[in-house]
Amino acid sequence: MVCAAFLGPVCFAQGEPPRSIDVGSLPATVVDEVVVPVPTEVFGVLDKLGSPNWHDVLRPVKTENLGKRPQVALLLGVTIAEGFIAVEAQEAEEVKKIGRQVLTLSKAIGVQKSVISRTSSIIEAADKKDWQTIRLELDGASKDVKQAMIELEDAQLAQLVSLGGWLRGTEALTQVVGKNYNKDGAELLHQPAILEYFQRKLDTLNPRLKENTLVKKIARRLPELHTLIEPAGGVSPQKVEKIHSITAELVKAISSQD
Amino acid sequence: MKTIVSFVLAVSIFLCTAHATVDDALSFALQAAQPYVKEGFTVREDYWGGDLPVKQPKAIVQQLFKGNEYWFWMGTDVASAKISVHVYDAEGHLAEAEYWRNKPHMAAVRVVPKVSGSYYLIVEIEKSPLERTHWSLAYGFR
Repeated sequence: MVCAAFLGPVCFAQGEPPRSIDVGSLPATVVDEVVVPVPTEVFGVLDKLGSPNWHDVLRPVKTENLGKRPQVALLLGVTIAEGFIAVEAQEAEEVKKIGRQVLTLSKAIGVQKSVISRTSSIIEAADKKDWQTIRLELDGASKDVKQAMIELEDAQLAQLVSLGGWLRGTEALTQVVGKNYNKDGAELLHQPAILEYFQRKLDTLNPRLKENTLVKKIARRLPELHTLIEPAGGVSPQKVEKIHSITAELVKAISSQD
Repeated sequence: MKTIVSFVLAVSIFLCTAHATVDDALSFALQAAQPYVKEGFTVREDYWGGDLPVKQPKAIVQQLFKGNEYWFWMGTDVASAKISVHVYDAEGHLAEAEYWRNKPHMAAVRVVPKVSGSYYLIVEIEKSPLERTHWSLAYGFR
């Protein structure tokens, strides 16, 4: 049992996978990267649970008076998440505006080349009301700007794009669930791996980014969010409201002028 | 100078080759995904990848949501390698609805989460002629 030394009771080489593993003794070779879910993964479940009024959730995104690079990266994530909300609301004109805003924000941090074709596709697909293509292109735009940042040796800034998107997606989720509370909808907030991942990433930011006022503000609130989403099997209406209030405050800070 | 240029060239070729093989592994993972796209699965653009020695599994922690159905597709560029991917819930219980690993270059697993939360994806190179084998893992949901 060579593999036992690496993964405790986990060893698949004999054929069928074991019925259970000891998650407390996972190997040191745990992949650090977490793929942050796209808002659609959550919104799709909400659609199955009821008929949320996405028009109420949708909010115009402003890109005037852009702040420093960390704020622009966070705002880029918020804007892409807003794109997913616009798709849910089937607001083609808003999708087109968001596509253009993604390009403007990408330009502000020097990664516009990576998303030109994506934003063109978003606008073309919005004309055709091809919602599935828009979802795919928004996901692709998010991946491409992050990849471009990594290539520019700005991987830490790329994390902020994911964080901005997650905050806006969670704000939207809590707005929908808060309006018509149900246990299954609230359970979607149970995302410990994502919170731990963002906390880990913010803890290891370089001092310049870590000292950014906005980043500091977000880093201060994440442990609180982590506590609120922690219980498995459901989050109470009061906690949904609290999570909404924190994420709305942070998204507002991201979208405000410096 | 000539030595430096040769060194840089060699490193570049090595890096390009390494990158290409993870890309190849991804292309097989995406090829495995194709039939499921027709069934309505949305494939994420993000993916995991790297290289692994034989029989040294790697764990990936991933958030899954109750109400969705997921497929995880694993690919490798080594045709004769045997690879596998399995999914466990936060308590360590096997959480998959079905899996397959009998096709060259590919393996896959389907999950219908009973609760929303963290899940452990365990990827493994079960057999390979190489010391380290490139792999990639993509996923889709509906």
